[in-house]
Amino acid sequence: MASLNVLTLCGSLRKGSYNAMLQRALPGLAPGGMTLKPAPSFAEFPLYNADIQNSTGFPAAVNTLADAIRAADGVIFCTPEYNFGIPGGLKNAIDWVSRLPNQPFAGKPVALQSVSPGPLGGGRVQYDMRRAMVFLDAFTLNKPEIFVGGCASKFDEKTGEVKDEATRGFIKQQLAAFATFITQVAPKK
Amino acid sequence: MAEEPLDALVICGSLRKGSYNAALARMLPALAPAGMKLRSAPSFANLPIYDYDIQAAGGFPPEANAWADAIRGADALIIVTPEYNWSIPGGLKNAIDWVSRMKDQPFKDKPVALQSAAGGILGGSRAQYHLRQCLTSVDAILFGRPEVIVTFAPQKFDEKTLELKDPTAIDLIKQQLAAFEKFARRVTGKG
Repeated sequence: MASLNVLTLCGSLRKGSYNAMLQRALPGLAPGGMTLKPAPSFAEFPLYNADIQNSTGFPAAVNTLADAIRAADGVIFCTPEYNFGIPGGLKNAIDWVSRLPNQPFAGKPVALQSVSPGPLGGGRVQYDMRRAMVFLDAFTLNKPEIFVGGCASKFDEKTGEVKDEATRGFIKQQLAAFATFITQVAPKK
Repeated sequence: MAEEPLDALVICGSLRKGSYNAALARMLPALAPAGMKLRSAPSFANLPIYDYDIQAAGGFPPEANAWADAIRGADALIIVTPEYNWSIPGGLKNAIDWVSRMKDQPFKDKPVALQSAAGGILGGSRAQYHLRQCLTSVDAILFGRPEVIVTFAPQKFDEKTLELKDPTAIDLIKQQLAAFEKFARRVTGKG
């Protein structure tokens, strides 16, 4: 398989985040040839305001994230659900980069994963993300979907490892499917 | 009948000065029924991006508390917002995310009406439906119809003064505010 360079973007900022644990577990579950690296942080982005963009241009951190997205063959979001929707911070990051010329998500293969303590495992946030990704002209992988519900029992709190075998299996399947999808939708070089 | 006025807080989802939604929000006092008093919510522009570690280490930022207090102090809320990338602006969602973590969560049982203005044919409706979903999570009481969805905004606001000049939109807003006042009084038991 061709080597694929995939960016992982976590929607939570807190250190103990289950979604960050999932993000860190991905390299160990990825197919051969897929290299995963975490995206630069959006924690310091100001809240989107066109007046900032027009007076001082895009903040440096926004360009850094956008460049990382542009340089990647694909992007995987690992995100919690806040109030039945996308975390405001993650949506704000998307809002910023969406305004850039050479908008970084255009034509970019994207896969979604979410973790939550409840039974739905973040089902609602993923469908909101799919909708925003349509506007940005990203190509979002359909299946398999990764909803890690009841997360407290599925991670090793100390090591951050995904200890649930079924979950590990789903993730491996999704990453393998994503590798195929990236190859399928990428513009032929 | 000398009713106590219904105190409604207006929240704008855009931060830029020339925003059509901010212009719409500024129009509301002139279009509101006599029994409704409107005021603007404090800004959420300087809230950090939500991070539980910030909350755990230093508590809620003063801006989050000020925003929450304004919501708690109001009888009802009117959210006027643009749509970004087919959804809620991240900044507005971030403000909701912050206050949703508070004890005495401010949206609980609060009547909310939604309005949006946008340049296109859908008028920001997708942001409104996402807001309905998120405000369900925080137990707000959502007003139904009429919906205020101002499509093709550049044609409906005065280019220089940013005043809303479209009679159909103005009429619809008056209808919504009048119906919302009744709704808010009914669900809060005020008057």
